[in-house]
Amino acid sequence: MRKSLKAWFLLSPALIIIILFNLLPLARTVFLSFQSSSLNNSHFIGLENYITVLTDSRFHQAIYNTAIYALAVVPIGLIISLIIAAILYDFKKFQVVFEVIFFMPYIISTVAKGSIFRLLLNEDYGIINNILGWFNIMPINFLDDPEIALLTIIIFGIWSSLGFNIVILLSGLRNLNSQYYKMASVCGANKFQQFWLITLPQLLPIITFLLTVNCINSFRIYTEVYTIFNGKAGIGYSAITAVYYIYDKFYVVNRYGEGMAAAVILFMLILIFTIIQNLILRKLTRR
Amino acid sequence: MIKIENLHKVFDNKYEVLKGLNLSINEGELLCLLGASGCGKSTLLNILAGLMQPTSGDIKFEGCSVLNTPPKDRDIALVFQNYALYPHMTVLENVMFPLRVGKNRLSKEQAKKRAYEYIEVTKLEKFINKRPHKLSGGQQQSVAIAAALVQEPKILLLDEPLNNLDATLRLKIREEIRILVKSMNITTIFVTHDQEEALSLSDKIALVQDGHVVQLDSPQEIYLEPANLFVAKFMGNPSMNLFIMRKQGNRLISNDFKIDLKLLTPSKFKDELFEEDFFVGIRPEYFLIAPNAPVFTTNIIQKELVGKDCILHFKLNKKVAKIIVSTNSRVVEGNKISVGIDYNNIHIFTIDGRRVY
Ligand SMILES: Nc1ncnc2c1ncn2[C@@H]1O[C@H](COP(=O)(O)OP(=O)(O)OP(=O)(O)O)[C@@H](O)[C@H]1O
Ligand SMILES: [Mg+2]
Repeated sequence: MRKSLKAWFLLSPALIIIILFNLLPLARTVFLSFQSSSLNNSHFIGLENYITVLTDSRFHQAIYNTAIYALAVVPIGLIISLIIAAILYDFKKFQVVFEVIFFMPYIISTVAKGSIFRLLLNEDYGIINNILGWFNIMPINFLDDPEIALLTIIIFGIWSSLGFNIVILLSGLRNLNSQYYKMASVCGANKFQQFWLITLPQLLPIITFLLTVNCINSFRIYTEVYTIFNGKAGIGYSAITAVYYIYDKFYVVNRYGEGMAAAVILFMLILIFTIIQNLILRKLTRR
Repeated sequence: MIKIENLHKVFDNKYEVLKGLNLSINEGELLCLLGASGCGKSTLLNILAGLMQPTSGDIKFEGCSVLNTPPKDRDIALVFQNYALYPHMTVLENVMFPLRVGKNRLSKEQAKKRAYEYIEVTKLEKFINKRPHKLSGGQQQSVAIAAALVQEPKILLLDEPLNNLDATLRLKIREEIRILVKSMNITTIFVTHDQEEALSLSDKIALVQDGHVVQLDSPQEIYLEPANLFVAKFMGNPSMNLFIMRKQGNRLISNDFKIDLKLLTPSKFKDELFEEDFFVGIRPEYFLIAPNAPVFTTNIIQKELVGKDCILHFKLNKKVAKIIVSTNSRVVEGNKISVGIDYNNIHIFTIDGRRVY
């Protein structure tokens, strides 16, 4: 008993911080989501906010966009990262240099990256359209076409996710025993078999970790949208995401309760998704 | 037939491990590579397997240079010194792996069948569906051996494959290995630190020192007829007693005993004894208890029992020397013994290690 008291005592600073900064805001979010939307004269209104949000077509658009974004960015980003990491790993000479180059985007602020991307993607003088022009492809209006807005964000998201993924995957590759490959090459396994039968299965724990982190990051996408479309969510909210929706409700139209309700729904979605994903991956790695 | 000719290996850091090594191994022969730690045994195996390129020299299989043959086409199986099993595969999958890749790929069923054969040989049936990290070091080693044997290669390279096994299992597996490779006519190179293992297991022993093979011979020859002082010192446990003796006329003399050169077999002299000082090597079993015509008498200072024999320590020329006697002679510490020498089986070396008798 005295031991556990001591333990609680020692844990208390951390616990207080967690309660103060994590649990309380969460509880307050949940609380506010059941209140009417004005801050000074709020009262309990039951599920009204939830009903409003869930029937809002813009919220549907936001969830749809976020889901598409996650479904595209996470797997494509991971596969590209895996390929680049595997190539870099074999490429001993300038490995560190390339690693730094690929990691750079990760340490640059998203706002700066977004601005760079805006320049690159500009319809009239952007480099990308310029290059496409060499192949006689008509300039693509990445920034002002509601049809393409989501694609633009996806491309940006994939590119942004590479740095972190590559660095983590490379460290995983470095941890693999080089004897595995010596033995495999004596047995006659080709590069592809070595990757598929030896490297990939052993990277699964790391890939699981990256999947979870990338998914959660994708669900929370907001800054990317904000910076690339200059504070909007694309033309006519075409690239709106879940978090952008919450922000919009909160600061633009001042419907606090609805914003909170949307936040709670998003939180539940992420939670459920993460749990399902972990269950599946645990099955996969255990076999 | 494997022929290694004038093989040099200099590492990137300019360290030269192999300095013109020559070695030839007949087909189906079991050769033990013996040598001190760091003498380049693993390096040699890696070069043979094609995982490392020599700096110069040549390796020929059946008369054809294989330096440009990639590892997979050399028909070699290899058990590494720090063998690494695939941690994500079960024992069965580990043993099957070599059969499921490469150009002679077997179907899953065939591979399984063959894997089972070798899993039986290495007594791993119980662990078939376990992952390597659930096995003991010795069991893991057995898996590595099974994964090598299962390939039924022409050449098998084993880099200290038994060093994690307990004494009994070690004995058993090394017998299994010998029977297997002999029945399958696999040319085998077996690296070991353990000279007893080398002596009991191999058709031939190659002793490596300082980047060269100093002697390539049958176990018996290498034990009885060491090429030089290094081999003489290296082989034998307890090791050979060595005494510095001075040549005086027809005798070799030292403080405590003398050897009359006329008692030695004249035909066994490889050279005349030109120098002044020599090393005389007498294995512990060639000191004899000789109450009638002793060369010297001495006190036993320590007794080590090894089984049917025991090793007695005594002081000779101010150095500890050893003699092996039968345990049932019941000598105890402090006893005085009269010792003779079996002159037929002594060796004489020059100070720089050349054998002259
Ligand atoms: N890549 C390398 N670069 C530089 N030196 C190396 C390299 N690999 C091995 N060496 C050196 O070469 C020598 C021989 O190494 P090797 O592993 O062949 O020894 P070994 O005979 O197998 O020893 P052991 O019996 O301890 O296994 C050692 O001194 C080692 O330090
Ligand atoms: Mg070694």
